Amino acid sequence: MTFTSFNFLIFFPLIVILCYSTPVKYRYVTLLTASYFFYINIKPIFALITAGVTLSTYLFTRLMGKTNSWPWKKRFMVINIVLILLPLFFFKYFRNINAGIFVLLELFHLKCPLPEIKLFLPIGISFYTFMAIGYTVDVYNEEIEPEKNLGILALFVSFFPLILSGPIERAKNMLPQFKAQINLDYNMVAQGLKFMLWGYFMKLVVADRLGIYVDAIYGNIYQHNGTSLLFASFLYPFQEYADFGGYSLIAIGTARILGFNVMQNFKRPFLATSMSEFWRRWHISLISWLTDYVYTPLSFSFRKYKVWGIVIALMITFFISGIWHGATLAFVVWGLMQGLFLSIEALTNKEKSIFEKKHNLSKKSWYVSMGVCFTFILFAASEVFARATSINDAFTVYRRIFTVPGTLFIGRLSILIYGVFGLSILLLKDLRDEFAPSWFLLFENKHKFVRVIAYSSIIILVLLIGVFDGGQFIYYQF
Amino acid sequence: MIKKIVFNIAVVFLAVFVLDFVIGGTLRNFYFRETSGSFFRGTYSMEITKADILVFGASTAVSNYVPEVFENSLGVTFYNTGQNGLGIFFQLATLKSVLKRYTPKLIILSCGESFSKDKESYDKLAYLLPYYSKHKEIRKIVELKSPFERIKLISEIYPFNSQIFTILVRSIEIAKINDSSKKGYDASYKRWAHKIDTVNTYTTYAEDQNKVMALREFITQAKESGANIFVVYPPVFQKFNMRQEIEIYNRICLIEKVPFWDFSRDTSFSNNKSLFADVDHLNHNGAMLFSGLVAAKIKQAINKDGP
Repeated sequence: MTFTSFNFLIFFPLIVILCYSTPVKYRYVTLLTASYFFYINIKPIFALITAGVTLSTYLFTRLMGKTNSWPWKKRFMVINIVLILLPLFFFKYFRNINAGIFVLLELFHLKCPLPEIKLFLPIGISFYTFMAIGYTVDVYNEEIEPEKNLGILALFVSFFPLILSGPIERAKNMLPQFKAQINLDYNMVAQGLKFMLWGYFMKLVVADRLGIYVDAIYGNIYQHNGTSLLFASFLYPFQEYADFGGYSLIAIGTARILGFNVMQNFKRPFLATSMSEFWRRWHISLISWLTDYVYTPLSFSFRKYKVWGIVIALMITFFISGIWHGATLAFVVWGLMQGLFLSIEALTNKEKSIFEKKHNLSKKSWYVSMGVCFTFILFAASEVFARATSINDAFTVYRRIFTVPGTLFIGRLSILIYGVFGLSILLLKDLRDEFAPSWFLLFENKHKFVRVIAYSSIIILVLLIGVFDGGQFIYYQF
Repeated sequence: MIKKIVFNIAVVFLAVFVLDFVIGGTLRNFYFRETSGSFFRGTYSMEITKADILVFGASTAVSNYVPEVFENSLGVTFYNTGQNGLGIFFQLATLKSVLKRYTPKLIILSCGESFSKDKESYDKLAYLLPYYSKHKEIRKIVELKSPFERIKLISEIYPFNSQIFTILVRSIEIAKINDSSKKGYDASYKRWAHKIDTVNTYTTYAEDQNKVMALREFITQAKESGANIFVVYPPVFQKFNMRQEIEIYNRICLIEKVPFWDFSRDTSFSNNKSLFADVDHLNHNGAMLFSGLVAAKIKQAINKDGP
């Protein structure tokens, strides 16, 4: 079961009814059962890993809470982090480690690879592992008390709106909500439904439609010319945004209907005027997680190197981000590119600010537009490494963009027309939300008639041009 | 508060219901009024044609069977119901709709389908959605797409999902000029220009039993209707030893005792660039030659068995 499967449209209303009819004290049991049912529905065996991560985290954080010795606390924290990272490393990186060992041994004319095992990456493992690590570190830092109720902690790790692709939530935010007395709230339900509706629009109308074109081009990079590859490379960031942003909105909306506030994951990223601003708007939950648990401790450790310490911390953080996305050289390059962009910005930030202030540039629309375009181009250029299947393919894409001219591949015209139409609506909404949030109100209009027409039009658009037999969410693979 | 939530949701649902009914109804109207293009050919095959010979199949049917050759050689009317990219489920659904109206004298099933399990074959059943409400006989086939199709089809728009642009464009007269097909046959005048080496590999796959059952049902229904049925595997450019689908067609045809003519490794076609538009599809020259051969074999078979 996924958010876009028809089963979910039956499952979710039933869970909402069941949840609100359960006494508050036992509501977490209903949600925990629903979460495991949701996850088991994808592949039952995966639930065992989730349960294992939960049990290990529960046990070691409880031990951390019971001891007053800091060295022991640290030991328990490290042991738990290593234990819960093991499945992630095994499922995500075994094949690459195997290949690496094979190459290494071959250098010495030895052939002794580890046995090849076909592994399916448990969906969401990267997300709930990070949530569990965050909780463990927070307990170690005494920012939160270790959770005594195993059921509540299990719900935090497996909460069905978040388990597949996040947002990567924090225990500080979720645990108190799971224990609080939550009553049915009209505004929460209405907001949740709006988020879900817009999320479905982003996913089904924009992402999956653009995905058909992008897949057609990137699936046969050697058959397509530079113009088509360039166009597909520009479309891919939009596809990814609509896909992951749409997923996140459905997740946030789902949680909100159930009475829970979950953090925002995307905030109009393609209107950022610099890469540092972009990363405050794109996959916010991952970046804030990395900032808190990786970047900040690292930059503290490297503080004696001043600005170069920041550069080192940025490069390491985004190297980890690249590895988190995938254990391939292409993702490492992708991560290092982000680190490099941000490092250049960090090194030039002071001069840039003085220059902008001197010429009063930050309020000039042409300057803002240039910043938006430049930031998008940088991100799109790095995304070639994320979309191509290997580093060789990524370089081939670049080579063909510059050396193989030709006319744009159109394929079925309707696919591009629907995709561009949906994307235009999405970008117009983002522009309005960013620069004129009180203009042209549809979902928030004071007249009920306008609101009803707005909701119904989105549903009708999804029915008319949504892709119903489309693919998976891109971020499931991570 | 619950009342307020339920009321507001109901109001939105009502608005969606009205819009869905109006837009879906309009699309349906345009869809069934088309006079050219693949939607029209589908409707024509299922609801209108009374041709004596019907060809069923995917793109290899569309490109390989020339109506005039069959009509001149056998002295009967001909229609090619083939649809690009649509497999045995669609062919079975078309046959069921045809047999509900009349019995053709002769049915040719043009093969090419892989019997592997793939989601795409089921996704493509969406092509049959506009016919679901009118054609009870195809409902079980459509429901293979997902167990929820019946519920989804409460929506009037759903059967025409992603088709609005095509439907609107096809309703404009000028678009009809682009439809080059004649009696379902779409000639290609391209010439294949690449060399392909002989392929000796033979990879097996797990059979999709739904597809195999659909093939059997196609043959038994055609036989029971009293039509003569011939199963034909058309020529392919590439040389190869064996394909699992050929074995399946052969097996089923042997069980059902219907003729199976395999042209896939016919040396007069294989590796002959002048007869192919691409590796799987004949160009017009190839289609003329192939249609002549098939027509001659049919003539021979009918004469042998008697009228």
